[in-house]
Amino acid sequence: MIFTVTLLRRAALLLAVCLLPVLPVFATIDDAHSFAMEAAIPFVKKGFIVREDYWNGEVKSGQRLMVKHQMFKGNEYAFWIGCPEDDAEFELTVLDEKGVEIALDFTASQYFASMRVNPPRSGTYTVIFSVSSKSSKSLYWALAYGYR
Amino acid sequence: MRAFVPLPPVICALLLAAGLPASATAQGGKAGVQEFDPRAFPGQMVDDVIVPVPSEVFTVLDKLGSPNWHQEVRKEKPPKTGDRTRLSLLFGVTVAEGFVAVQAEDKESVKDIGRDVIDLATALGLIKSVRPHAQAILDAADKGDWASIRKEFDKTQKTVRDAMDQMKDADLSQCVSLGGWLRGTASVTSVVTKNFSADSAELLNQPMLVEHFLARIERMGRDRREHDAVADIAKGLKTILARMEGAVDGFTRDAVRDIGKVCESLLAEIRNVK
Repeated sequence: MIFTVTLLRRAALLLAVCLLPVLPVFATIDDAHSFAMEAAIPFVKKGFIVREDYWNGEVKSGQRLMVKHQMFKGNEYAFWIGCPEDDAEFELTVLDEKGVEIALDFTASQYFASMRVNPPRSGTYTVIFSVSSKSSKSLYWALAYGYR
Repeated sequence: MRAFVPLPPVICALLLAAGLPASATAQGGKAGVQEFDPRAFPGQMVDDVIVPVPSEVFTVLDKLGSPNWHQEVRKEKPPKTGDRTRLSLLFGVTVAEGFVAVQAEDKESVKDIGRDVIDLATALGLIKSVRPHAQAILDAADKGDWASIRKEFDKTQKTVRDAMDQMKDADLSQCVSLGGWLRGTASVTSVVTKNFSADSAELLNQPMLVEHFLARIERMGRDRREHDAVADIAKGLKTILARMEGAVDGFTRDAVRDIGKVCESLLAEIRNVK
């Protein structure tokens, strides 16, 4: 009996070791944030201060999300979104309280996108974003921001 | 992962049935310009608000004039207490004080505040995760590296709030944010009152943040919600919110002063260790 259990354990271990190289490496929310931070690099060089807090989560491909955010007139803001999916496509914009789009210079690359905002007055703004992929139904995302 | 609050399916269905475009855009009409209503947005709302750090507002005040930040720095040591709710509020207040000291480029005050952060983190049982940031603040203060100090104060606050969230005590984490916001807002009102302008006063247009804090207090456990300091803060926030919502044509100097007075009285209550 003991011999059989030991044999089974060894077989399971061997199977796990053999399968290890073929298992896919799964992306995480931390990866999404890393990509958002990669998007921030050129902005930091231009004097933007990156906030430590950020939004993140997992969402269905193409599902639009929104966050409400306080911004102050006189500051310039930049938002960076990251997603660790090879074919990720991004949407990222900001609306004022009347629903008018005020985002500037939206740019996107393989794993991240960014845009800037010069809020016309101090108050609450709505950041709207989505991440889409043809290969994954569910995607990790992270949205960070900075100001100067 | 953060929690999502899905929009009620009925609203989504009605919006979609009405043939509204998938994207939320400006909504005009014969009756004049309509306000954008985020609740009517056909998507999911992320139920998480990021509270700006005080330096986000301070940088604007610097652009509008030359405030005397030295006058705004307070050299008060946080009182000793074993009350974790009060300690968390004090932690937020102290970190915000750090941002004021950085704005004043006051090395000695930054170092004192760095040491206060260590004491408070020790009392909260979080010194292990806070010590590297506190040490970085002390080191950067010696070099006068204000950008690094600002970053470390932000990191310190996030580390403490994350640790509290991990310990399933999101209420304490909110207390840290609340304390920080009250101290930051008190400084802003003080600076704005001394050199009043419509642009600087507009920085106090933050009703969404006040509503967020009130909602979070409402969701706290009964013991914490009825804590002396928290109950007083809830009352004070309602007064502040009324002032903000009443400033339709902009904030008057009196409105700014009133918001400042409420913040100061709440900060006194936070420091009032029995």
